[in-house]
Amino acid sequence: MIELAGVGKRFGEHVVLRGVDLSVGRSEVVCLIGPSGSGKSTLLRCVNFLESYETGNVRIAGRLIGYEDLPGGTRKPMSARRLREMRREIGMVFQHFNLWPHMTAIGNVAEPLLRVRRLPTSEAADRAMAMLSKVGLAAKAHAYPSQLSGGQQQRVAIARALAMQPQLMLFDEPTSALDPELVGEVLEVMRSLAAEGMTMLIVTHEMGFAAHVADRIAFIDGGRIIDEGSPRHVFHHSQEPRVRRFLQTYHDRNSF
Amino acid sequence: MNADLLWRYLPSLVSGFGVTVFCWSVGGAFGLILGFAIALARRLPFPPLRWALRAFVEIFRGTPFLVQLFLLYAGGPYIGLRLGATAAGVAGLALYSSAYFAEIFRAGFGAVPAGQIEAAISVGMAPFDILARVALPAALIAAVPSIVNMLIILSKETVVLSIITVPELMYQVQTMAAETFTAFDAIFAMAAFYWLLVECVSRLGARVEKRVTAFLAHDGARG
Repeated sequence: MIELAGVGKRFGEHVVLRGVDLSVGRSEVVCLIGPSGSGKSTLLRCVNFLESYETGNVRIAGRLIGYEDLPGGTRKPMSARRLREMRREIGMVFQHFNLWPHMTAIGNVAEPLLRVRRLPTSEAADRAMAMLSKVGLAAKAHAYPSQLSGGQQQRVAIARALAMQPQLMLFDEPTSALDPELVGEVLEVMRSLAAEGMTMLIVTHEMGFAAHVADRIAFIDGGRIIDEGSPRHVFHHSQEPRVRRFLQTYHDRNSF
Repeated sequence: MNADLLWRYLPSLVSGFGVTVFCWSVGGAFGLILGFAIALARRLPFPPLRWALRAFVEIFRGTPFLVQLFLLYAGGPYIGLRLGATAAGVAGLALYSSAYFAEIFRAGFGAVPAGQIEAAISVGMAPFDILARVALPAALIAAVPSIVNMLIILSKETVVLSIITVPELMYQVQTMAAETFTAFDAIFAMAAFYWLLVECVSRLGARVEKRVTAFLAHDGARG
């Protein structure tokens, strides 16, 4: 579903991604973990081209995103319209929820259905309501984001992305801005999504969630994937010192 | 304080106040519209247009309103622009305030959190929809307090129109002072009228502000 090959990016002199290869199959859940500043969020944002990459390819369901191949091996930036079409199939959930504060919960979920999918108002409202029910927030449909807890806001944001019926979902540290006691409700929604077979690529610091829900974990450091494999492999059998050191605190905490 | 005198001049003061309110509201309304259009146009990807509008804003913010008004009223005829005193006054207020309103709206757009725009991009919304449905409401809401503030400042700038003989409040007050040699009474009357106007504007502004930011309240009283 997602194919990254040799993806590279730099901000001026600073190289953020140094040739990343990664593939995520249909219905697969892959977690990206690694230290802050390792490039994992940037990598995730390259998948829907919120961040542009300069070298390599990112393919979604076989189709290159962000560029169009030209004969002769060169390429040019993709037209804005085609890029929008591709983004419609890729749901994204942000660390800070990014709900639109002047719209109610249901308004947030229905807005893309109205403006992008061009559904009739009643149909958009029905589908938005169904999505809010799915994340357990039907009762809060008419609340504004400021009236919701962080966990509820993030669940609305997930409903907003899901309502578009994307082929895959990207999560950029979805629980990092939440109080510890609100993390669980968001992870629960993500867990059930994974169980339904949604293709998911997740940047997270929730090691427990990664260990239990991910099919595969990729560890990123210094802009490249330095280890990748099953949760069991990465958490217990990695030969990479950097990975072992990073996970040491997690293991220490769990043995407490 | 001479009550008889004030009573005698009340009709002309009230008429002057009416002209003041007219010039202020019409000039302010056109200033808002023009300022908004400038702020929007400055977001378009046409550098020459952006530079021209930036120059417009800098010129009207960087020179005294009195000078602008004089140039418009007295200098206008030289370029075939013949305006009556009141028309020139209203046009002057509109041009002058549009420069400030343009900056207020620009700041409003700047205050829209990048994440809200990214969320709209990530679901594949088109630029126009992002502007109309996400950026604009947030920008307008952020701009309301500054708009009210500018409208209050503008209401007091209207006194300058008396210089080009617009029969607004200041003009009437000066007439009264000259005819009766009572500087204090006339000025006191003027202050009272302006206070009334500013009080109305700020109260109205507070209500508008409360209304447009109601969704930011945590009381949960709205549906």
